[in-house]
Amino acid sequence: MESDLSTSDYLDQIERLPTHEREGQLFWKLRIRETRSQLRHLFANSRLRTSLVISLSIVFWIGLFVLFYLGFDFVVGQVGLPGATYHAQTVQFVFTLFFMSLQIMLIFSSGIILYGGLYASNETNHLLTLPIRDSRIVLYRFQESLFFSSWGFFLLASPMLIAYGIVVSAPWYYYAYLPGLMISFAYIPCTIGAIICLILISRVPHLRRIVVGIIALLIVVVAYTSIWRTLDIKDADLLGAAWFKQTFRRFEFTREEWLPSTWLSNGLLEAAREETFDPGDLPWFESGKYLIVLLSNAMFFHVILLWVGGLLYRSSYYGLNSRQARQTHLRMAWIDRITEKLLWLLPRETQLLIIKDFRMFRRDPVQWSQFLIFFGLLMLYFANIDRFRQHRQDINVLAWVNIVSFLNLAVVGLILSTFTTRFIYPLISLEGRRFWILGRLPIERDAILWGKFLFAASGSWLPCAILVVSSDIMLRVSIQVIVIHQFICLMLCIGLSGMAVGLGAIMPDFREQSPSKIAAGFGGTLNLVLSAIFILLTVLLTALPCHFYFMANESKLQTQMIPAGNLLLWLSLGLIGVVLLTALVTIVPLMGGFRAFRKLEV
Amino acid sequence: MIHFEDVTRTFGNRTAVERLNLSVGKGELVALLGHNGAGKTTSIKMLVGLLQPSFGQVKVGPYVVSESMREASRLIGYVPDQPFLYDKLSAREFLEFVGELYGLTASEVRTAVQREVERFQLGEFMDRLTESYSHGMRQRTVFAAALIHEPEVLVVDEPMVGLDPQCIRLVKDFLRAYADNGKTVLMSTHTLGIAEEIADRVAVMNSSRLVFEGTVAQLRERVPGVLGTLESLYLALTDVSVFDGNSNGDFRSHSESPVLEP
Repeated sequence: MESDLSTSDYLDQIERLPTHEREGQLFWKLRIRETRSQLRHLFANSRLRTSLVISLSIVFWIGLFVLFYLGFDFVVGQVGLPGATYHAQTVQFVFTLFFMSLQIMLIFSSGIILYGGLYASNETNHLLTLPIRDSRIVLYRFQESLFFSSWGFFLLASPMLIAYGIVVSAPWYYYAYLPGLMISFAYIPCTIGAIICLILISRVPHLRRIVVGIIALLIVVVAYTSIWRTLDIKDADLLGAAWFKQTFRRFEFTREEWLPSTWLSNGLLEAAREETFDPGDLPWFESGKYLIVLLSNAMFFHVILLWVGGLLYRSSYYGLNSRQARQTHLRMAWIDRITEKLLWLLPRETQLLIIKDFRMFRRDPVQWSQFLIFFGLLMLYFANIDRFRQHRQDINVLAWVNIVSFLNLAVVGLILSTFTTRFIYPLISLEGRRFWILGRLPIERDAILWGKFLFAASGSWLPCAILVVSSDIMLRVSIQVIVIHQFICLMLCIGLSGMAVGLGAIMPDFREQSPSKIAAGFGGTLNLVLSAIFILLTVLLTALPCHFYFMANESKLQTQMIPAGNLLLWLSLGLIGVVLLTALVTIVPLMGGFRAFRKLEV
Repeated sequence: MIHFEDVTRTFGNRTAVERLNLSVGKGELVALLGHNGAGKTTSIKMLVGLLQPSFGQVKVGPYVVSESMREASRLIGYVPDQPFLYDKLSAREFLEFVGELYGLTASEVRTAVQREVERFQLGEFMDRLTESYSHGMRQRTVFAAALIHEPEVLVVDEPMVGLDPQCIRLVKDFLRAYADNGKTVLMSTHTLGIAEEIADRVAVMNSSRLVFEGTVAQLRERVPGVLGTLESLYLALTDVSVFDGNSNGDFRSHSESPVLEP
C-alpha cells in the first residue's frame, strides 16, 4: 500500500542530490554560459549600444581620474605628502566621508536589488520547485545584487584611489592591496543589506502597509533634516579655517573605528605612506592588518547571510505570497475628468487614446516612480542653489548664474530624453500586442500616433516647466530669461516627444514585451543619442547669445566687442534656429513614423 | 503517492482551497478540473512547494512537502502554467543544468537529454537559444526538463494551452503512457475532452472546495438526469442549483458534506 511508503524507498535518489559545493559549481556554470551568450548577442546585435556604453564609461573613468588627480595634487600641495602632520587627517577625512556614503548606498541598493531577485522573479519561482537548498538560491541571487549594486562603487572608487596612489607615489603593494581592500569592503555593506532585506520581508507581511509607509517617510525626514543641519553654515564662514574645523568635527562619526569604511581608509593610508626605518612600524604590514580585518568580516557576514537565508527565505517567500491581493475598484478618477476637459479641442478618438495612455501610465508605479525620483532629486537640487543671491552685483557671479541656469535647463532636457527613450519610445512596440483591437477600430492610424505624441509632449511639459521655473526663481534670473527658458523647454518637450514617437513607429519591436529591453535596443539607443545632440544644439543656440545679451544689460556694462543691437539679432536668430531645429526633429521622424505605421502588419 | 490531507489555504480573508482531501496513487492519472479561481493552481503550488498550506499537509511519497521540500522536489517533475526558460541558454544547456541539479551524473544527463530529445522531438532546435522558440517549442522543452530525472510524480498545470494539434496529441499520448508505466500524474486542465480521454479519475473543484472525485462513469451516476460528455456533467456539477437544489449561488452555506463520494 502507498501509505507504507517509507523514506528508504527513495534513499538512493535523495542521496544523489548535489552537495552544497556542487550546487555552487552548477550555478557558476549557468552564469558563465548565460554571460557568454549575452556577450555574443551584444556584440552581434547591439554594437552601437555596446560601443556607446563602453566608450562613455571609459570617458567617464578618465574624466574622474583627471578630476581626482588634480584634486589630490592640490591637497598634497597644501598639506604635504603622506607622513606630514595634516596629510593623514585631511585625506582620511575625505576617504572616510566618501566610503561611508557609499557604504550606506551599498546597503540600500543591495537590499532593494535582492528583493527583486528573491521575491519578484520568475526564475526564482522556477528554482524554488527544484531540489535546491534555500541558502543556495539566496546566495545565487545575492551574487547578482552584489554585482549590480557595487559596479558603480568600483567605477567611482578605482580612478580616485589610483589617482591618489600616483599623486603620493605609493609603493607597489598599495596597488596590490587595492583590489582586495575594495572587494572585501564592498562585500560587507552588500551582505548587510541582503540580511536586512531577508529579515524585513520575513516581518513585513505582518505589518500594515501604512505603518511601513510612515516608517519610511520618517527615515527620509530624519535623514534629510540631519544632513541639512550638518551642512547649514553661514555663507561668511564658508571655506574659512573655522568652517574646516567645524566640518571636521561634525563628521567625526564617519571615522568611528568599528566602521568598514574606516578600515578601508586606514588600510589605504597605511599602504600609501612612506616606509620608516623602524622595524616595528611596517606600512605593508599595518595595511595588511586592515585587509585581513575587512576580509574576515566579509567572510563572517557571508556565513551569516547563508544562515539567515536558509532560515528565513522560504518562510518569508510564503509570507509575502500569502497576502490577500488588493481589490481595486477603478472608476473614472477626477484626474481623468480634468484631462478630458483639458483636451476638449482635440477629436474625440484622440482624447480617448490619450486618456487610455495616461491611465496606463498612472497605474504602473514602475514608470512614474522613476520619473518622480529623477525629477524629485532635481527639484531638491534646484531648491538649494541660492548661494549666488548675496553677490548679485558681481559680474563673475552674474556670469555663473546665467551659465548655471542654462546648464539646469540642459539637465532637465537630458533627464526628459531618458524618460522619452525609456517610456515613450517603446509605446508603439508595446501597442503591437494590442493591435488586434486598435488596428480594427474605426479610427485613422495616424490618430494613434498623434495621440501618443500629444500625450508625451503635454505630459512632459508641465513637470519640466515647473522644474525650469523653480531653478530660475532660485537663481533670480530676469523675467526675459524665464520666458526664453520656458520657450526652449516647450520646444524640447515637443522635439523629444516627436522624435521618440516617430522613431518608435519606424523601428518597432513587437517580439519584446519589456519596455526597458525595447529602449535598450538599437532604435532606443539611437533615439537617446539624437535626443542628446538635439538638446545640446538647442541650448547652445540660445545660451551664448542670451548670456552675452543679458550680461551686458544687467551689469550695466556695454560690451565694446559686439554692439547690443547685434546681440539682440544674434539672440533672435538663435531662437528662430531652435524653432527650425525643433520642427525638423519633430516632423521628420513623425512623418516617417506615420508612413511606417500606416503600412504596419502585425 | 500524492496526498492532500485536509489542506486549507487562505489569503487574508479569502479562502482559496478549503479542506482538500485528495490522493493520487502510482500508475494513476488524475485530472483536476474547475473554473478559474476554483483553487486548482493554488493546490498545485502547495504540492510543488511554492505555497505552504495554512492548515493540513501535502505529502509526496513519504515526504511532507513543507517539511522536506528538497526531498519531495526530487520526486516531482513540474510543468507550470507559465513556464520559465533561460532566454540566453539553449534547450540542451537548460536540460543539462536541471538534470545535474537533480543529481544525475554527466553521462546520465547526456543519456537523459537524448531520451527527451527523441520523446519530444526537440532535435532541430536543441542548440538554439530558447528566446527564439515558439510557444509549442518552449512547452516541449519544459516537459523535457520536468522529466529529465524520470520523476515518480508528474504535475502538469494547463499543459495544452497554445499547443498545435500535433503537439497536443504528443503530450496526451505521453501523459497516458507515463501513468501506464507506474508513475503518478496530476494534471490541471480546462480541456474537458482531454481529461475524459486520458484521465483515470477526475477531481472537480468549485469555489475552493473539492466537489467530486472519481471516474467519469461514477460522475454520471452522481449527477442524475444529465447524460453525455464530461463537459455537460461538469457544467451540471459546478452549477450550484443542480448540486444542492438552490440557485442563489451560496456554496458556503452547504459546507457540511461538500464532496460527492463516488
